Amino acid sequence: MRVVSVSGARGCGKTTLIRKLVGYFSAAGKRSAVIVNEEGQAVYDDDFIHAHGLTVKYIRGG
Amino acid sequence: MGCSLASSLVDLKKKLKRDIDPDLLFIEPSEMVVTSELRDVTAMGLRDVRYATGPFITLVDGPLFGFLWSERRALLLGQVKNADLVAVSRADLIAADELATIKERLQDHCDRPMVLSAQNGANVQKVAHLID
Repeated sequence: MRVVSVSGARGCGKTTLIRKLVGYFSAAGKRSAVIVNEEGQAVYDDDFIHAHGLTVKYIRGG
Repeated sequence: MGCSLASSLVDLKKKLKRDIDPDLLFIEPSEMVVTSELRDVTAMGLRDVRYATGPFITLVDGPLFGFLWSERRALLLGQVKNADLVAVSRADLIAADELATIKERLQDHCDRPMVLSAQNGANVQKVAHLID
């Protein structure tokens, strides 16, 4: 397992980048998980999660 | 980052490693977390499970840079400092002279930032190669 972090201000594109990377690695047969510590809208929808075998966990606080 | 949150993050990483062991675990932290805190928390988990770490990527929001630089500079630089990769994100939404200003202001704080637009895919593959 490799831990990769993507930091930045809210709305800067963290989720968008992670989604792209999950898709890239999924196509290469690699499995991903995401820990989200950002409050806000649910951005990892069920279709995306199922399509890429993604595990998503949320933790509250900052 | 508070102690309880750091502890929760460490516990969750260890649980994911033991239960699923994905090839990649992406951390999407709160906007208020700086890179040194993330590094410390990531290192804490290594006491009893093994995993590889990095890169620690910081996205600098191109369209929001003016606000961040004037109002949240300490936070912005705390995220830029100690990052393995700094990228100006949403770069397709700013003009070339704005991008040049951002690079100039960051040059004393990081190596040359990458220019990124996840929406149109610019340089996303380069980031993937850095991870792989």
